[in-house]
Amino acid sequence: MKNKLSRRRKAFIMAFLAPTLIAFCVFYLYPILTVFLTSFCKWDYTNITNPEFFGWKEMWSNYDYIFNIYPYFWEALKNSAVWALLGVVVQIPIATLIALAFSRKVKGIKTIRNIYIIPNMISSAAMGMIFLQLYSPLYGVVNPVIQNFDKGFSENILLLKGPAFWAITGAYIFFTGTTTLMILGNVMAVPEEIREAAMLDGVSGIKQDWYITIPMIKGTLKTVSILAATSGFLLYNEVFFLTKGAAGTYSISYVIRELAITSPRTQFGRANAVAVIQILAGMLIIVAVNIIYSISFKKNRKA
Amino acid sequence: MKKRVTGLVLTAAMGVSMLSGTTVFGADNELEFYHGYYHEESEWPAAKVMRDIYDEFAKAHADGPVKFKPIAVENRDEIVSAQVAGGSFPDLVDCGTAVPQAAISQGLVYDLKPYIDENNLQDAVGLNYTQNDVDGHIYSVHDQMESRGIWYNADVFEKAGIKIEDLKDWDAFGEAMEKVRGLDDGTYGYAAGQGSGFIVNAILASSEEGRAMIEAPLTEEAVNSEVFAEAFKTAATLDQANGSEHTTEDVGNLMDDFNKNGTAAVLFNGVWNASGIDAGLAEAIQPSLFPGNIAISSAGAGLTVANGMSEEKTELALEFIKYMTSEEVQAKIFTGVQANPCNTKVDLNKLAEESGDAITMKLAEACSMVNDAEIVVKDMNYSWGADVKSAIINALMECAVSGTDIDARFEQLQKELIALIA
Repeated sequence: MKNKLSRRRKAFIMAFLAPTLIAFCVFYLYPILTVFLTSFCKWDYTNITNPEFFGWKEMWSNYDYIFNIYPYFWEALKNSAVWALLGVVVQIPIATLIALAFSRKVKGIKTIRNIYIIPNMISSAAMGMIFLQLYSPLYGVVNPVIQNFDKGFSENILLLKGPAFWAITGAYIFFTGTTTLMILGNVMAVPEEIREAAMLDGVSGIKQDWYITIPMIKGTLKTVSILAATSGFLLYNEVFFLTKGAAGTYSISYVIRELAITSPRTQFGRANAVAVIQILAGMLIIVAVNIIYSISFKKNRKA
Repeated sequence: MKKRVTGLVLTAAMGVSMLSGTTVFGADNELEFYHGYYHEESEWPAAKVMRDIYDEFAKAHADGPVKFKPIAVENRDEIVSAQVAGGSFPDLVDCGTAVPQAAISQGLVYDLKPYIDENNLQDAVGLNYTQNDVDGHIYSVHDQMESRGIWYNADVFEKAGIKIEDLKDWDAFGEAMEKVRGLDDGTYGYAAGQGSGFIVNAILASSEEGRAMIEAPLTEEAVNSEVFAEAFKTAATLDQANGSEHTTEDVGNLMDDFNKNGTAAVLFNGVWNASGIDAGLAEAIQPSLFPGNIAISSAGAGLTVANGMSEEKTELALEFIKYMTSEEVQAKIFTGVQANPCNTKVDLNKLAEESGDAITMKLAEACSMVNDAEIVVKDMNYSWGADVKSAIINALMECAVSGTDIDARFEQLQKELIALIA
């Protein structure tokens, strides 16, 4: 009887899990496997419906092309990795500080919260267009600021190697609305009794945030860090709208598009080799963020 | 039991609806035609003119065995890419970019050449007949040409002491731009970047070797040739003198400087720019050709028919191509869409005179110049590919920054291009 009940319970659980599992297999697992397998295939305009395995001897051909011949891969990987890192070290502290500020009970804070979230409702494509105007050397706002330090400066910063990268970074990194809201939700969920107990011990304000609030929301901080790092790594729209890869600003996502769509040779196999690296790098990011958080919070506990 | 029966009925109904869905798609009594004229009339009046042309054809064939169904979409090229990747092709589509090579190699697109020859449509399809010939096959016919020359502001030229007839070569063009900068009143030469790609294109067109290079897919030999080096470096030098502040990857970003503000002396744009000129500058802005009496005119992709459709559907698709290239429709494309029609028999100047419209007259002037140019070449985008053109434009844009070593950037570009075509 007990066995029957347990079997029924298992079947019940499986029945509820099945739609998600099926959807996962169809929409995630199958494409990932396809991407992985076809990255070892010749797959371009000559055999678009019939990818052909290169054979064991030449199975790394696409990777060889990407690593050793394709001119934009290493630049794109470096840029995407730096954007991922900046997502964690710049975006998350900013979002946390703003969330902590928003958690204070100050008059008018609700209105400010609502205003703060408005830019996040604008699509990144529209944002790209807005920043294109801001960076315009003819009527933008950036060049006049630079001219305060360098009077004769008249260049288009989106065409300068180095500044162009930071211009793209500036176009997305400060838009932390969703991250801020996620952190704020967790900050608000810290029990009031703990705050009061800390107050009684003489810990308030920034100290309370540092020693009580932040350690209590570390789970959320870890999650949003992963999200920020991966979205930085996958950056595409800003590159497309601001530079189209000029001045050393290729990103991994942009390179995939170049190979698969822009190239008249429809190089799906090579694009998928880059996609495999993108997937692996995404997994590496998740592991790295997990390790960093567990080490840093362990140290904090010991302290 | 009742529940089981209901469940079975529902499942059967879902199955039937799914199956019927797949059979309705691509039905034999309907010819689906994807085109890109989805814009509101207020946004772009030409789109409405094109839709009306399509609707007229649909109306004329409403009682036939196959119905004509025009479908306006924003992403026609993505629809084509997706279908080609799956081994199929839309019934009929007005391709925005080149017909995918993957579609040709799979035999998914219909060869229009026999139909054109049998019906003596060579003049009606115009430049399509030569430019879109792929090893003796024609897979697409564009009803309007992508024709480009230069547009210049005659007032600015006069002020700077430049005569358009003096722009015989690119050295003279460079000197003229220097004079414009010398005015020192905020006026600049031209919108570089995307536009500079056309300078390279036009310089290549000035020599026989360069023209042969543009007509064929890019090769390593072409990348390493003197002709290509000269074309790139000339354009890059002009761009650097012009300044990176006047450089953009999308010429649309600086178009108002020329068409509305009058602060740019030259614009590299198509004949269709006639309709974008501000009334106040209508007298000053004039069309011309690239130095050396050169025009860039591409048939582009255009109307492409799927292979393997039923006889009736194919017949209707072919009739549609005949209709779109007919003198009557081509006249509408010229006057209503403000584009260069493909039919070489259409008398543009006569149509412009009849219309009495200043913009149409300017358009006619621009189109006639392009059509009568000594040298007409296609946009390298169509033979070399968008990725190659994009790499060239990016390199030119970087060279526009003062102090950039053009020789070093060209060497880097050569490596990039050789890798891209590998």
